[in-house]
Amino acid sequence: MNRFRKWMRNKPAHPDISADDHAEVIAHAKLAPDLEQNEAMFRKLFENNADIVFREVKAAGEARWLVFYFMTLVDEKTIDDHILKPLLAGHPRPEAGEAGDRQSIAADDGSPESAEALDDRMISLGMTKVRSEVSDIVRDVLSGHAAILTSADNHALTVKAASTKQRSLEEPSSEPVIRGPRDGFNENLSTNIGLLRGRLKTLRLKTESVTIGELSQTEVVMAYISGIASDSLVEEVRKRVTRIQIDGILDSGYVEEFIEDLPYSPFPQVHSTERPDVVAAELLEGKIAILVDNTPFVLVVPMTFWTGLQASEDYYIRWPIATFVRWIRFLFVFIAIFAPPLYVAVTTYHQEMIPTNLVLSIASSREAVPFPAMVEALLMEIIFEALREAGIRLPKQIGQAISIVGALVIGQAAVQAGIISAPVVIIVSITGIAAFTIPRYSFANGIRLLRFPMLFLAGMLGLYGIVLGFLGILLHLGSLRSFGVPYFNSLSPFKGMNLKDIVIRAPVWAQTRRPQTTASRDPVREPAGQEPGPTT
Amino acid sequence: MKAFLHIVLLSALLLTSGCWDRTEINDLAFISGSAFDLTDDGEYLLSLQIAVPTSGLGGPGNGGGNQQGKFFVLSATGKDANEAFLKIQNKSSRRLFTSHRSVIFIGESLGKHGIGDLLDVFNHDPRQRLRTYIMMVKGGQGREVLETKYPFEQVPVEAIKEMEMLKSELAVTLRDFFIASSSDGISPVMGVIEAVDDLQGTKAKHSKKNLFQLSGLAILKELKVVGVLDNPETNGFMWMTDRMKSGRVDAYLPEGGGLVGMMVYHAERKIDLAVDGTDVKVKIKLRGQGSLIENNTPLDVSRPKNLELAQRALEASVEKQVRDALFKIQKKCKTDSLGLGQEIYRNRPKQWKSLKRQWDTVFPRVDVTVDAELSLNGAGMGGSPLYLNEKEIRK
Repeated sequence: MNRFRKWMRNKPAHPDISADDHAEVIAHAKLAPDLEQNEAMFRKLFENNADIVFREVKAAGEARWLVFYFMTLVDEKTIDDHILKPLLAGHPRPEAGEAGDRQSIAADDGSPESAEALDDRMISLGMTKVRSEVSDIVRDVLSGHAAILTSADNHALTVKAASTKQRSLEEPSSEPVIRGPRDGFNENLSTNIGLLRGRLKTLRLKTESVTIGELSQTEVVMAYISGIASDSLVEEVRKRVTRIQIDGILDSGYVEEFIEDLPYSPFPQVHSTERPDVVAAELLEGKIAILVDNTPFVLVVPMTFWTGLQASEDYYIRWPIATFVRWIRFLFVFIAIFAPPLYVAVTTYHQEMIPTNLVLSIASSREAVPFPAMVEALLMEIIFEALREAGIRLPKQIGQAISIVGALVIGQAAVQAGIISAPVVIIVSITGIAAFTIPRYSFANGIRLLRFPMLFLAGMLGLYGIVLGFLGILLHLGSLRSFGVPYFNSLSPFKGMNLKDIVIRAPVWAQTRRPQTTASRDPVREPAGQEPGPTT
Repeated sequence: MKAFLHIVLLSALLLTSGCWDRTEINDLAFISGSAFDLTDDGEYLLSLQIAVPTSGLGGPGNGGGNQQGKFFVLSATGKDANEAFLKIQNKSSRRLFTSHRSVIFIGESLGKHGIGDLLDVFNHDPRQRLRTYIMMVKGGQGREVLETKYPFEQVPVEAIKEMEMLKSELAVTLRDFFIASSSDGISPVMGVIEAVDDLQGTKAKHSKKNLFQLSGLAILKELKVVGVLDNPETNGFMWMTDRMKSGRVDAYLPEGGGLVGMMVYHAERKIDLAVDGTDVKVKIKLRGQGSLIENNTPLDVSRPKNLELAQRALEASVEKQVRDALFKIQKKCKTDSLGLGQEIYRNRPKQWKSLKRQWDTVFPRVDVTVDAELSLNGAGMGGSPLYLNEKEIRK
């Protein structure tokens, strides 16, 4: 295990991951007072880029302003209307112009405007910054700002004019619901934060931003509700997120792997979801969301075992049904892990446990099968996993064909040919269905993975092996933690109050308290005694 | 290196301690029933009925497998059960698997000779099930029953098991048998089965016995069969031992000139003991509740008067059944299969101490009185047979 860890950690020869030629040039450089000199520097910095635009705006024959931006990142209409037009006209922004403020610019027509004056009088856009550090300007330009250099002083104005290229809000395909909100996060960070703000209209919703990724410069936002989330947890998340060093973050999965407690566990310790309502609900429980730019998957910590078995819809349908559905899920989690191993163990070691008629029918279907039961089950499980994987990867049009071929080849032909026995097909398909009753995809993946070691244990040791494996899983779950919160929380350590939302899904009016572990600062969710009934 | 060594050692620990007896299900021969018989030269003949998993069942192609392939019987002789078993194992390509055995048959001749030598294997070997039924084959060899074909079940012996469960309380499992035979003041009994000809009595030429029927109870004394109760007597036996949970009683009603039938759905037995030295008086009180389900008389049984008549006739019928059984057990077999001794042991432990030794001689002399009390809670759906017209009905 230690060797394995060493191999995994494998320190790089050059710990400096930013082998950037420009890094030294712009590290602490400031703008020069001279516009020509600045232009030359920026042209050098942005050389060999087809999509950079340098636009000089001249007045009285000499260059007064230099506007540059990436045309692929900005909305050109915004640039035209709000930057170039006012500059070219030498006019202040239209609204201000009406107010008769134009004199200040028109008065000294020959003198170049300073960056601050531009910001104050000419540019009618919200996100503007006066910059003097070259590195700041470069970063702004790279994230969709237009930079305006002036000949007047050694400051520049960067104006956010990013075009919003984004998908519309669609229902998340990984977490569909029958009843409940149908919007999902998309790849745009500000849209995603907006979705949360739309649900939690409170000053206490805090969003702290961190930029991670040497090259990707990805914005990562920690969202929490101050007063509910514990300070120590916020601090812990902040620490874990800010210490990430990587060249690029392309999905929240990268962040997840950096902030987990135990990377070697099959169980996810960070909950990822595409649903804003789920994130809002968890924020209300004192958890912390981590939103990453360019991905619809938002991370929520800490995660517990039960989070993996709770669907958002549980809270939108009436509670008796939700409770029943939860029990079905509990049952099927067991089936997903233990059904094939149990079949293998019982048919190869403990035939006396099967009712006589069943044992005879199993025996008769196994008559022609050349493989041991374990190999048979393993084979089918692997084929099933392959089918599942292929189903995800295949283009939608071909998916149909594959499922038919899979059903025919495995369901019928293999049985008919006597390669696989029918009971194994039944067991494997039940198990396959069982794993899909788990609402959280990453959690279901963990469960699915556990089946294979269990299958080996069952095939080699029988029920004894299953018991060993089960104990191992329990031990692991009992010791696992997610951001300091025990993974098996509320069951172990036992907290009876929280079981209201685990063993059953208590009615909303009965869940008067937030989970103790994450929201101990502000435990009251709602006043008690709201059980509905006719008013007397 | 050290870590590697740890892994190897740990896995060795895990792998060597498990049950390393992996056997694929298709390498096993499932024994569904066994039969023990006595050969002429005094050896035991063990026959095993082995179920053949018909590959057609449920599978594609040849649906509805034929009778021929469902089972076969292997036999061998030996000085004890184990030796015979080994001989049979040598005849079988698959490992004999006893855990699914549902019935053990004892041939009548062996039953009378005594089964003491055979029983031990069933409580020593962990692969045996104590829930296996044990039965005596009346008037024949155990092997015959095993060879009988039965159309309902996949394996014929399963049919017997199901039949036993239907008449549930008469069913005697190995466990019951062992408990009875090791307890004081009670002797074990076992079920009796008979291979019969389906066309019995029709005189058709069909000599092969192709069905079996449950026919009573065998009474054992010192592990030897000393008598057999027939079906009505078995009913009486069940009344007396408080095993009657539900059953049917028929009685001839002289006033009506026909039969009435009753379905008993609640039965109770009470025993009053009077022990004075070796003078034991036992009063058995039977109570039953039920409803009338059959009335072949022209009487209108919805009238309380007539219902009472029926009731009394039924009571008399039960009492007769019980007395018949009692006579056989007490006077003929002289074996306390009823557990009266146990009843004394439980209720009068002090007196039992002195009785215990001589119980075998005392039991046949015990004065038993039987008193049945039935109550008919309903007259069924109609008062009198529907096929009679108004005038024929006697009210």
